[in-house]
Amino acid sequence: MKKSSPKFILNYCIFLIALGITGCGEKTSEKTPAPKPPLKAESHSPAPLAEATQEPVVVTEKTRKTYQWYCAQCHGIQGKGDGINAKFLTVPPRNHTKAKYLETRTDEQFFEAIKFGGLSVGRAPCMPAWGNTLSDSTIHELVRYIRELCQCEAL
Amino acid sequence: MKSFLYILMGGWFLCSPILSHASLIQEKECSECHRVSKDDTEKSGPDLFYSGNKFQASWLKQYLQNPITIRSAGSTGDPDFLKGIQANSQKHPAVSKKDAEQITKELMALTLYDLPEEVNLLEPLTKGLKAKIKYQFERTFSCISCHQSLNLAGKVRGGISGPSLVNAGNRLQARWAASWLKSPKTFSNKSRMPVYKMEDEERLQLTQFLMTMKNENKR
Repeated sequence: MKKSSPKFILNYCIFLIALGITGCGEKTSEKTPAPKPPLKAESHSPAPLAEATQEPVVVTEKTRKTYQWYCAQCHGIQGKGDGINAKFLTVPPRNHTKAKYLETRTDEQFFEAIKFGGLSVGRAPCMPAWGNTLSDSTIHELVRYIRELCQCEAL
Repeated sequence: MKSFLYILMGGWFLCSPILSHASLIQEKECSECHRVSKDDTEKSGPDLFYSGNKFQASWLKQYLQNPITIRSAGSTGDPDFLKGIQANSQKHPAVSKKDAEQITKELMALTLYDLPEEVNLLEPLTKGLKAKIKYQFERTFSCISCHQSLNLAGKVRGGISGPSLVNAGNRLQARWAASWLKSPKTFSNKSRMPVYKMEDEERLQLTQFLMTMKNENKR
């Protein structure tokens, strides 16, 4: 049997990689499936639950402003998933006012999604990691704020 | 002592023509919308006090004569920024070719400090590497969620809350883009972009990728 040439194998690999690359801005006619949960990076530390349990996290005016400054670009002023970037993304930003999905997620999953990005919790790569921008306590407050917006808690 | 005075006077005579032109930025009231000095109060338009680090002179000259939209949703500091494209449709005023040349000269003199010249910044990317960085641009760092950019087929894709990167390769200096990715707070505290911690190699490759985005590559 004829052996496959290295060039053919290389081309085949490139083809496979190309299939896998579909960015947030690439509009495709088919609905993009949710990406599979990636392996967690070693640097990921578990969400500091202790902090959350020691003192109740309070949503302040500063929390709302932080949401408006960073999150509302995609998630919208009222958190309805209709920010100015929304229509340019393949995977629509999460509507934070809808409880149906959000109540199936834990606060820790919210925390990880914000801190390490969407891919870290098996969701869309459009959501960047905010862990170098926002402190853990700010992220905990944002989690609380999202719970306020959806008027829901984890089931 | 006398010779020292002559030197001083000579210096003044030499500098006076420069000084007499140095006010076009003021004359055109650029500082109404832009910070032209780091000590200025917050303004709605993009900061210009590090223009000499950030922009390519040829692009500035062209832009000032024929302004195009870089931020479709307006500047991040605009009160209506989050309301979308229509809310911030104010167009940048255009100036004559002569004025554009003078303003460019003045803007290019505004620098923060000498940015580091990083190794291999402008080496061409191989096709494979370009595909890898495109992947990072879209999926690892999610840049495309907020920035319009060119995909590998030369099509414009991406969000609009950040400045368009479609012509980044003609607009920005590579050194500045690399420095911004490393330490955006050095330049601005009002950015809505996440801060990234990337390996130097990764950061420089991403910069190289940005510099490949040019209007002439659009299809």
